[in-house]
Amino acid sequence: MAIELDASATPRELTQAATQHMLPQPCQLVIFGAPGDLSWRKLLPAVYNLNVDGVLPSHFAVVGFGLPAEGDVKGDPDEWIRNRARDGIQRFSRQDLDEVHFADYARSLFFVPGSFNDASAYNRLKARMEAFDQQFGIPGSRVYYLAVPPTLVDMCVGRLKSAGLVNNPDEQTAFTRVIVEKPIGRDLDSAREVIASVSQAFAEGQTYRIDHYLGKETVQNLLVLRFANSIFEPLWNGKYVDHVQITVAEEEGLAQYDPDTCEMIATRAGYYEGVGALRDMVQNHMLQVLCIMAMEPPWSLAPDVVRDAKIGVLNCLRPMSEQEVEKYVVRGQYIEGDVNGKRVPGYRKEVREAFAMMKKPLPSGSVNSTTETFVALKLFVDNWRWAGVPFYLRTGKRLPKRGSEVAIQFKAVPHILFNDHPDVPLEPTVLSLRVQPEEGLSMRIASKLPGPKVRIYPVKMEFNYSSSFGGQTPEAYERLLLDVMAGDATLFMRRDAVESAWRFVMPILNHWETHRARDIPEYQCGTWGPIEADRIIEPDGRQWRTL
Amino acid sequence: MTEMLTRDPDYLVPLRDVERTLTRQMKALQGPGAAPVQRARMANLVIFCNSLEQAILINAQVPEVEAVHPARAILVVGEPSREECDVTARVTVRPINIAGGRAHACAEQVTLHAAGAAVDRLPFAVRALLIGDLPTNLWWAAPQPPPLAGPLLLDLSENAQQIMYDSLGWVNPVRGMAATASWLDRIEQEVRGGRWRVASDLNWRRLKYWRRLLMQALDPASAPGAAESVSEVIVEHGPHAVIQAWELCAWLTRRLGWRLHTGKVSEGVEMAWVFSTPHGPRYVRVRRLPEGPPQIRRVRMTCTLDGKAAAMNLVPEESGRRLAIELEGVDASPRTMSVPPQSAAELIGRQLSDRERDAAFRESMTTAQGMAQSLL
Repeated sequence: MAIELDASATPRELTQAATQHMLPQPCQLVIFGAPGDLSWRKLLPAVYNLNVDGVLPSHFAVVGFGLPAEGDVKGDPDEWIRNRARDGIQRFSRQDLDEVHFADYARSLFFVPGSFNDASAYNRLKARMEAFDQQFGIPGSRVYYLAVPPTLVDMCVGRLKSAGLVNNPDEQTAFTRVIVEKPIGRDLDSAREVIASVSQAFAEGQTYRIDHYLGKETVQNLLVLRFANSIFEPLWNGKYVDHVQITVAEEEGLAQYDPDTCEMIATRAGYYEGVGALRDMVQNHMLQVLCIMAMEPPWSLAPDVVRDAKIGVLNCLRPMSEQEVEKYVVRGQYIEGDVNGKRVPGYRKEVREAFAMMKKPLPSGSVNSTTETFVALKLFVDNWRWAGVPFYLRTGKRLPKRGSEVAIQFKAVPHILFNDHPDVPLEPTVLSLRVQPEEGLSMRIASKLPGPKVRIYPVKMEFNYSSSFGGQTPEAYERLLLDVMAGDATLFMRRDAVESAWRFVMPILNHWETHRARDIPEYQCGTWGPIEADRIIEPDGRQWRTL
Repeated sequence: MTEMLTRDPDYLVPLRDVERTLTRQMKALQGPGAAPVQRARMANLVIFCNSLEQAILINAQVPEVEAVHPARAILVVGEPSREECDVTARVTVRPINIAGGRAHACAEQVTLHAAGAAVDRLPFAVRALLIGDLPTNLWWAAPQPPPLAGPLLLDLSENAQQIMYDSLGWVNPVRGMAATASWLDRIEQEVRGGRWRVASDLNWRRLKYWRRLLMQALDPASAPGAAESVSEVIVEHGPHAVIQAWELCAWLTRRLGWRLHTGKVSEGVEMAWVFSTPHGPRYVRVRRLPEGPPQIRRVRMTCTLDGKAAAMNLVPEESGRRLAIELEGVDASPRTMSVPPQSAAELIGRQLSDRERDAAFRESMTTAQGMAQSLL
């Protein structure tokens, strides 16, 4: 682990400096599935931005590996990936494409075409990587990013190991690290299988299970907000908090359409159908965010100390009985509706069209798919701090707007001075942390309206990253890639956390499996989910928030 | 102006880019090296108009509303009877000087337009534009009474904590009044899960100073026995202000404890009611004047003062800045009360922060409903 040192410090200060932070180390970033969507939209632009910002190591190269959907690459593979990167940067990068920077980026960007199941492809990959080591002065260190479907993870790590591309976990300079994308399995058993198969090649310390939500500034700011301010932490418990709502709302559905022709141009149906919102969002992103929100103060910011604190929350989640699943969990599926002024089709139609587009037969279970595109649930963290405080989680596709937030609603004040009149509502104090878009936080408090009478009105104090700090906030993937290069696993999921999260959602999945619904609640695209979702919150005298 | 509200492509913004465009316009207001411009918004204000002509008038009032109570204004123009056109959006960011020009803030407005069947899609667009943790208000600026508006009102008011409407100029006041009183109960009770909602009539707000002056005129401390002796009330109003006059009568009779007996309408001229009291029948007449501003012009109460037959005339002074009580039959100086200017925008701005359920309004509307039914 490399430590940035302050040159003006004395030797004692050097070892005890509080501002130490880890630097990314020289390495090759090898992207498995480089032709795919994640690489195009997120990873290649993220590395470009890191390059522009000057935070990448000087001894560094990016190597794409895989095969494009259309088959072989025509022409020079390196030029092919560079063009692909250019396109992704132009479309998705937070910083505009600058030819000077791009030229620098492109000269260290390469592509090795090959099937993940082809041993000879790994040999070619190995040979080229060794050449790049020489070319860029890299000491044999590798970060493998497995941007591949979960079914291919086992094959990829097995082949990597067979090809001798995985170094000893104790190796500090020529390190080998692997980044595994979600989903880690589709249930507890399969997650254990994935974990076990990765662990055959990589030690836990070499494995970085990524959840890009944890790379968001606001999520990290939760730690700062809680533990660097004296006013919040004393209130951060069941004595003062009425309830917590965590929402991840997506505007997009399963498919993307050409704005001119309205034809489907891309789809996640192949992955999403049969997976659903609980597995796709709740089991990983939302529970991870919940952990950071609810965890006990870690005694240091060392990766395993923070991760121990997080797992403490997962271990305290109250397991749901069958009756509680019925009572506390609602799922839904979107039907035709309106988003951004356009009529958009329902989920089932999108699935049918997606499979037709992919020229694959529609699975029999998908004809009348009951895959949930929305899920809302109420859960409890049974520990001293959060006893009796409900946590309401809600996520869905095709909701009115894109937005993710953690909202902490504080308890009402005694009904003595200001809110004893039933017709004059006193809105509760709410601290809301926006994860996306426009990362920031806001606090709603009650204020007196100017004038002779005492009239109370809710006001909202806002902090917005982009307007307060200017510039652009780095994308989550940028931060997380740097962390892997630096060997900092704080923001990555440890094996026990993955298993704990699965353990919590399994009773829900099992209940749905054994009580297969012919139809699940529906909601129109462009609405805030099925009306049934209200039944888990409204009987408590609370309501879902408007984002 | 019309083109700004409709489909001129120079002004249109794709719906998915509304927030981004607002942010960009806001940043453009910031001078080089200047502090960031702050968004001034205390509420969501959704304004619904059902014609372009009306929308143009309202559009001109929005800056004044925002000056009183900063809000994210979403002006929704739905023209169901026109040829269908999709939902379109345009955005405006207006600078506001606050703290004597030492700080910069901006107000934001999104204007949505749709026609034909696409009007039903407007609530979807509105839903995406609301800002969380701010009170949401719907200003129903269409000329028809809200209860006659159908599902569009329900959809637009889905998240609204206050629905504001203006009964000034309703085409069929009797029907509108009868329907609205029962709608008020319904709309406020339909919300679930600890939510609350209130409905407010701007016409009622216009009556604020009239009501105050009437209470002072009949105050037993200054006019002993006057309230009990009132035998007839005549309210004269300009065109389109019949409901304003009606609401005032409903309120007054309720305060006086009168019970409705019968009612009669002379189309376009007068509505008259007879009330019963322990002291005998009492008469209320609402008379329309052929011309003049759409407001109450005079309230005349026949009564007994100091044991003599007398009358109180409550009239606005010519300047419109004061209301006066003039007495007939007794020797007394006129009494006056200042009335601050009340433009429609000012009324809306004030109403945005006034979210309490007004028991007097609700009771008066119950009486008014009975008065309406007696005329049907």
